[in-house]
Amino acid sequence: MRRFSRHERSWLFVAVYFAVLIVPAWLLFGPGTGIQIVFSGLLQGMLIFLVAAGMSIVFGLLDVLNFAQGAWFMLGAYIGFTVYEALPGEIGGGWRFAAAALAATLVGAALGLVVEIGLIRPLYKRPIFQILMTFGLATVMEEAVRLIWGPAPHPPMEKPGLLDSQFYLLGQQFSVYRLFIILVGLVMVVAVMLLLKRTRVGLIIRAGVQDSEMVEALGINVRQVFTWVFALGTAVASLGGMVVVPFRGATLGMGNEFLLAAIIVVVIGGMGSYEGTVVASVLVGLTRATAEYLSLEYFEAPILAEMSILMVMVLVLLVQPSGLFGREE
Amino acid sequence: MDTPETSLAAIRKEIATHAGYWIALAFLILFPFLVGWYTGSSPTGIRGRPVGASVYWQGIMIQVMVYAILAISYNLMFGFIGVISFGHALFFGIGAYITGIGVRHLGLPIGISLLIALITSAILGLLTGMVSLRIKGVYFAMFTLAFATVFYVLAKNRLLVNITGAEDGFRFEVPEWLNPVRHRLEYYYLTLVVFVLVFVLVRRIINSPAGRVFLAIRENEERAQTIGYNTLAFKLLAITTASVLASVAGFLHVILNNKQAQPSLLGVGYTVDPLLMTLVGGMGTLSGPVVGAMTLHLGETILREARIEIGGLTINIGENWEMVLGLAFLIVVIVLPYGIVGTWLRGRASRHKWWGQLQKRLRL
Repeated sequence: MRRFSRHERSWLFVAVYFAVLIVPAWLLFGPGTGIQIVFSGLLQGMLIFLVAAGMSIVFGLLDVLNFAQGAWFMLGAYIGFTVYEALPGEIGGGWRFAAAALAATLVGAALGLVVEIGLIRPLYKRPIFQILMTFGLATVMEEAVRLIWGPAPHPPMEKPGLLDSQFYLLGQQFSVYRLFIILVGLVMVVAVMLLLKRTRVGLIIRAGVQDSEMVEALGINVRQVFTWVFALGTAVASLGGMVVVPFRGATLGMGNEFLLAAIIVVVIGGMGSYEGTVVASVLVGLTRATAEYLSLEYFEAPILAEMSILMVMVLVLLVQPSGLFGREE
Repeated sequence: MDTPETSLAAIRKEIATHAGYWIALAFLILFPFLVGWYTGSSPTGIRGRPVGASVYWQGIMIQVMVYAILAISYNLMFGFIGVISFGHALFFGIGAYITGIGVRHLGLPIGISLLIALITSAILGLLTGMVSLRIKGVYFAMFTLAFATVFYVLAKNRLLVNITGAEDGFRFEVPEWLNPVRHRLEYYYLTLVVFVLVFVLVRRIINSPAGRVFLAIRENEERAQTIGYNTLAFKLLAITTASVLASVAGFLHVILNNKQAQPSLLGVGYTVDPLLMTLVGGMGTLSGPVVGAMTLHLGETILREARIEIGGLTINIGENWEMVLGLAFLIVVIVLPYGIVGTWLRGRASRHKWWGQLQKRLRL
């Protein structure tokens, strides 16, 4: 009998996982609720992806796990609604929304650049301290936001007119705005993939993830590329935070909420593997949505939703100790 | 046979070589009375009621020692054997929860409950330790975080509300002699004894041959393996000891703080705090975690009421304590990477050199 390669084993694991645990649950609920779960799972998966994408690539390049990524997600939300509300109403909802998204992304990128150059760079020689640094940075950013915007949660802002409607599928009602977020997530998945696979910078990033010393030896400044990747990651996370404001508002805790899921995605996918991040985002999103419906049905408490993704992570780590698609240590 | 003179000389020599430890110990023993004498308040409170400055400061000092035990246990893994765990709060919380459940729901005496808690901790510590064979580095940190969060979620959830009291937690009674409200001074000395025992134990481990292997594993695990050490056994020893010690800290903490077991005891805060204390004090040093615990907890206590006025702007430090902590974190990481004790120890060599040069110059 042929032995499976590591890659094939991982795909097999994903397939078995879905076939045994997730799909039966959907069938249990019937097609209507089943498609609701898939929709909700994809939505969550894409949001988690927006936070996790940067973390994963940054980790692959220089072994820095950015614990502050969740703080950027939160910051993006606060910048987003502030800009949206600061603009006069005559401009039109769509344009105000676009301006808010742009502002959140740019501020996120700029702050990412500053932090990388000012705080992370001096610590290149002490990798553990970089992780601790981002840990402390997350606290400082959250407290700064509390100081500026106050501790109270901000209510959801209005959706732009075009997206503020519903559509029907299999007799179930769905929000167009949530579909829009899924699409934003998919566009980002494809865009980052194109960046990685089709551009020269992407080539350097992929080579750097494989062996950054070798790439440096070839005369390429990996550190500089890393700085831009870090900023790109924080920009994407900020955008992610901004797009969730219209349906769940902005709270101080939202960063940590998504950070935990994103860390789990990065770990499950295997740090540094883009393919792994995408697969794990969808897997974690669907798992969580399924668990949410299951616990509503049987436990009247969200216990499964919080625990399921942790369980998945423990399961994956025991099967593949360096994540599904990560490099072998 | 030792004559009285030689044993006296031995004691004198011991005190001279470890002067710092003995002075610290003497200070801690006298502390309630020193504060009492300085502020003119009674160390035992007034007629059994816990009032007065001495009693107040005893409470703070007990808390410092509890945090110090927790930080020492964290440092044993993080600083000496190089295993990063983000789930240390699990063991802290277990010391509180299992003891509380034993006393309240099973009606067991507190000693037996504590023993059960420590055994549970040891078993869970062994389990996490075994996982460290397969899962390494950041992945292990994430694994422990997930492992601890599972228990946090369980404790917080309404599913087990009859046992854990969900978000509110639950209160349990302790025997009168262990009640820190009535018998603060006795509780202070109990904590002091435990703290000294823990410190001596960890010091003994680190200075033993096994402790040398810990350092070897921290510096290069593969090399230690190649030399022929069973690194897993040493890791299990370190992780299990650390887990049990953290449980002891959790036990002392919960009794001091109103005997109230709450989910936050299992939360990530009690992982970050010992981590931060270890870093501020100096990771991989014996007294570092103690210095770190003292600096941070006393800092929080003193600064809680402080305000800074910049122009017309008044900033209340107590309300923004998290912010101060976060900034302290950043500054320590950048400026003081070896912590307070670590920097002091590293400076010792150059101070010696400077002193030697000075002596040479003077002789010339």
